[in-house]
Amino acid sequence: MSHVFARRAVAAVAVMALALAGCSGSGDGKPGANAANSSITVFNGANGTILENWNPFSPTQLQPTNGMIYEALFWYNLASDAAPQPMLGSTYAWNADGTELTVTTRDGVTWADGQPFSAKDVAFTFDLIRRTKAINATGLKLRSSVAKDDKTAVLTFDAKSFTDEASIVGHTPIIPEHVWSKVPDPAKTINQNPVGTGPYKLKTFSAQSFVLEKNSAYWQPGKPQIQNVRYISLATADAASAALTAGQVDWMSSFLPGLDQLLKNHKELSYVNTPVLTASVFTCSNVALGCAGPQTDPAVRQAIHHAINRDQLNKLAGGGFAATASPTLLLPERDQKWITDPAHVTIPGAPDVAKAGQILDAAGWVKGADGIRGKGGQRLSMTIQTVTGWSDFISLNDAMAQQLKEAGIELKPAQVSWNEWNNNQVQGKFQLSLDSIGLGANNNPYHTYQAKYATVTTAKVGETASTSGNYARYSNPLVDSALQAAAGTNDEAAQKAQYAIIQKEIVRDLPYIPIYVNSLLTEFNTSRATGWPTNENKYALPASWKIWDNGIVMANLRPAK
Amino acid sequence: MRYLIRKFGFYLVALWAALTVNFCIPRLMPGDPVEIMMSKLGQKGPVTPETRQSIEALLGADSSRPLPRQYGDYLAGLATGDLGVSVTFFPASVIDIIGRTLPWTIGLIGLATVISFLAGVGLGTLAGWRRGSWLDNLIPVTTMFQSVPYFWLALILLFLLGSVWPLFPLNGGYDVYTVTPGWNGEFLGSVLYYGALPALTIIVSSAGGWMLGMRNMMVSTLSEDYMLTAEAKGLRPGRIMRRYAARNAVLPSISGFAISLGFVVAGSIVTEAVFSYPGIGSALLQAVGGNDYALMQGIFLIITLAVLGANLLVDLLYSVIDPRIRARS
Amino acid sequence: MTADTVALTAPVTRRRPTWPPLTAKLAAGLILGGAVVLFGLLGPLLVQDPSRVGDIGLAGPSGDHLLGTTQTGQDVLAQLAYATRGSLIVGAIVGVLTLLLSAFFGIVGAYAGGWLDELFSLFTNIVLVIPGLPVVIVISAYVPDKSLLLVSLVLAITGWAGSARVLRGSTLSLRGRDYVLACRVAGEKRWRILAVEILPNLIPLLASQVVFAVIFAILGEAGLSYLGLGASGSFTWGTMLYYAQNGLALRLGAWWWFVPPGLLLALFGAALSLINFSIDEIINPKLRSQTRASRRGWRMSSEQLRKAKESTL
Repeated sequence: MSHVFARRAVAAVAVMALALAGCSGSGDGKPGANAANSSITVFNGANGTILENWNPFSPTQLQPTNGMIYEALFWYNLASDAAPQPMLGSTYAWNADGTELTVTTRDGVTWADGQPFSAKDVAFTFDLIRRTKAINATGLKLRSSVAKDDKTAVLTFDAKSFTDEASIVGHTPIIPEHVWSKVPDPAKTINQNPVGTGPYKLKTFSAQSFVLEKNSAYWQPGKPQIQNVRYISLATADAASAALTAGQVDWMSSFLPGLDQLLKNHKELSYVNTPVLTASVFTCSNVALGCAGPQTDPAVRQAIHHAINRDQLNKLAGGGFAATASPTLLLPERDQKWITDPAHVTIPGAPDVAKAGQILDAAGWVKGADGIRGKGGQRLSMTIQTVTGWSDFISLNDAMAQQLKEAGIELKPAQVSWNEWNNNQVQGKFQLSLDSIGLGANNNPYHTYQAKYATVTTAKVGETASTSGNYARYSNPLVDSALQAAAGTNDEAAQKAQYAIIQKEIVRDLPYIPIYVNSLLTEFNTSRATGWPTNENKYALPASWKIWDNGIVMANLRPAK
Repeated sequence: MRYLIRKFGFYLVALWAALTVNFCIPRLMPGDPVEIMMSKLGQKGPVTPETRQSIEALLGADSSRPLPRQYGDYLAGLATGDLGVSVTFFPASVIDIIGRTLPWTIGLIGLATVISFLAGVGLGTLAGWRRGSWLDNLIPVTTMFQSVPYFWLALILLFLLGSVWPLFPLNGGYDVYTVTPGWNGEFLGSVLYYGALPALTIIVSSAGGWMLGMRNMMVSTLSEDYMLTAEAKGLRPGRIMRRYAARNAVLPSISGFAISLGFVVAGSIVTEAVFSYPGIGSALLQAVGGNDYALMQGIFLIITLAVLGANLLVDLLYSVIDPRIRARS
Repeated sequence: MTADTVALTAPVTRRRPTWPPLTAKLAAGLILGGAVVLFGLLGPLLVQDPSRVGDIGLAGPSGDHLLGTTQTGQDVLAQLAYATRGSLIVGAIVGVLTLLLSAFFGIVGAYAGGWLDELFSLFTNIVLVIPGLPVVIVISAYVPDKSLLLVSLVLAITGWAGSARVLRGSTLSLRGRDYVLACRVAGEKRWRILAVEILPNLIPLLASQVVFAVIFAILGEAGLSYLGLGASGSFTWGTMLYYAQNGLALRLGAWWWFVPPGLLLALFGAALSLINFSIDEIINPKLRSQTRASRRGWRMSSEQLRKAKESTL
């Protein structure tokens, strides 16, 4: 169960219904009487033993490293369509070619050890990434990184790098030159005494729990107000729900079935739902790249799209918390400005079996004696895989199999281990597969579209597609050229015109059939701290496992009175 | 002496077999650590094809060496205590993770197993000595506890005694909120308190087996001729029970106890999952969840070594308490 | 390691297997176990599709759903029937495999003696000290598509050694009995001695080992499933409990989802234990002689006691 839970915590999803009581009201911004010893406890999905690793470049870093301790130049709020918010940077500008980025840094910031922060630290950070391949996780094509003065850093690139903007300014932790210039191997250090600019710094650490304490020299005046933040590790959803209702956890993001019922008698507990990950049926869609099966016929994919009853799926598998998805694979609410055709903003919740039937009839799929359609000796029958133990996805499969039978489509659910499921997707050895569309680096659809629909991110069946890439084996020259055009500019209007082309193609071809936007439930205890994000005020993605955003949330909390 | 040499020979062969199995399993199975780490990262956020290069550089992958060379390297690594690097906890070494988690498991599950053994054998002795007493008739009931799925019982007890009537803590190895780990009374007290419920569930579900085995052995032993002789000599019943009957009857239980030490760690996996206990079982689960083959191998190896060691110890002990074995060698 | 002590303590005389007397324990065991087996065999024929979802989730027992529904409106009774069948299949496969493996390595080795015995005994002892569940977990982590059969195989491969050691002990002791030596002197063929003279005397012991193997296999499968490492896509008591636990059934008060699979497992295990008590009494007749009921028969009645007291006064 550990991996289900980890997935829940890391990649949970969907909508919510309840307005938050008590979160937004109180605080007047003044530290309460108990501010000096205020303390909250966070469960960020860690299970088992915790090992110390505060290296902001390490893939196995402890989750609060980025956001709580280290900060980036800017911060992207993936819960809304807001512009990037200045953090350590104040402005940035590209040259016309997209090969040179000039960043102006914030004044009056100090490192937690008292040394002043300057543009030299920024230049050092990117130069270190340029020199050290192992920490260049997003593959920035840096040519040089220099500080023109204490307030200006200039980065130059070997190639046009508009599309790396979010990675550069939003997802690169800035580190102090005076500390890291003495680190021999920046990829492998565990950075035991982290020195950052963020709102918190390390206080105590043990393998079961660690505590961060307030950075009193933080550059945002009056923040943070909570003195100590404790992180704990729990093994199962059952343990998490028990700890939450017993008042031992103040902030966690776990999908808990029957959440309303669990919290019924606990006035101090509330939750917020910020759906961002779209649960979708991935199809191996391209005969030319080696896919086989009825799902290679776009008519079949369209028919599935119309025949599934999303309202019922949400009720049975999504706990009623899932939000409506868009056939463009963007988020209807957050990304509305990027969805060009109003008809493609949302998918109706009710099924349209008649329409599915018409589409299949027109494509020559005829109903057989057992009610399942067929064409030229091929039965309209497909296997859909998901991972053993992912109970909501298993329920989705069971329910969809039942629903699609009415349209004459047979679905055979299969459960496999995470390894095999992942390997099948990467290699294209599947017919249908249930998965989620992940978060992009920022809200620009480019990141999703490039990863999921570009020919360069796919491969023939049997060969390895890029990670989280185009597992559907979709390949469309129109989409490829539109993506290339969008990457060549940072003018949003010009990009939008290209996305219109892409959306028209993918809504027709549907290599990924969206089901719903899965819930992302975050539970709070308001008896010790207030000021949590609410449905009305999603000032950050509230998930306790999210990097960057957790620093924003913590800086905004106030001790409860 | 021959007895001891034979024993050591056996343990050497067993050790070699365990090491070799441990070497072979991951190499027979598909799975590339770089690919696995990539996919895990892909779940957390965007990854680009370039991420692969950075991870390859990070892990320093090499699979080009011929197998016999790899086997040699592996044995040499083991000899120096190098079990490799964990993927889930990169860059921590496997041995470091084991060092942090093993004490918790030995402390909790090991102690609970010993208590369960002592209680079971003690009660079994009495039950066998007084056949037909209420204690003897309790045996079918205690045996049934063995057939109850351990985690099911533990979850129900945790729900009832942790949440409904909060007598015991819900999770963890000690009170992380108010206690600092260290050799102080407060910490040790907290560890005992947090370990009480997990230990209790283990004892409840396993003592019955010891009790039954011991009781049956007592019954068999009591009908031996030397028991009659002892009684005829007019020895005190307590002395007959302890020195004559129990001492002989306990021998099979002791050899069973050695085997059950293997289940210390096996049982700990489920126990630690239910109680969020920070031992080696939960580390193994983390390794499985994270496809961390190095960590899995390392933990498995340590478990095997521990079991072999415990068995060896019991074998040596056996030669002391069972004169027949001494006589033969 | 200490196999000979087992032999010392389990004296076996030459006798044909006798059926155990039908005690209350045995009767209760047979009835309970039989009922569970019958449920597993016939239940799936009578219930609805266990995967069929419905709109009424987490409903308590009612006329429509005798044991209520799961989170996704699946019928718990239907799942229980299929789960019973699945768990019994695991038990049966492991039972048969344990019988074959332990008989082969335990009896054949001990009977043949010499280097073959040494080899088999070494192999058995090695398998015995290699801890089972971690191996199972590691193997299941490596193997992608786990069928019920694979899980059973893994459980059997890691579980047979204990039985083999017990059987070896008994065979060693039987081999040295006078009647076996007599057969040898009489020129009986070796395989015939094994099959006709030795094996029948081992049947009760084999039976009790198999019964234990079945219990441990079913419990082991449940444990694996609880950790999310069980067979994929099949119903067993373990997978049912896993989903119930994942759905926080206990905390949401859905006892009808969480309790039945565990209870049924416990009942079946108890039934097998009761049967084993009776088998134990055949293997070791000393255990049989004095039950509490028979002792009560010897006791003086209160009237006799009173009389005896009076007479001594």
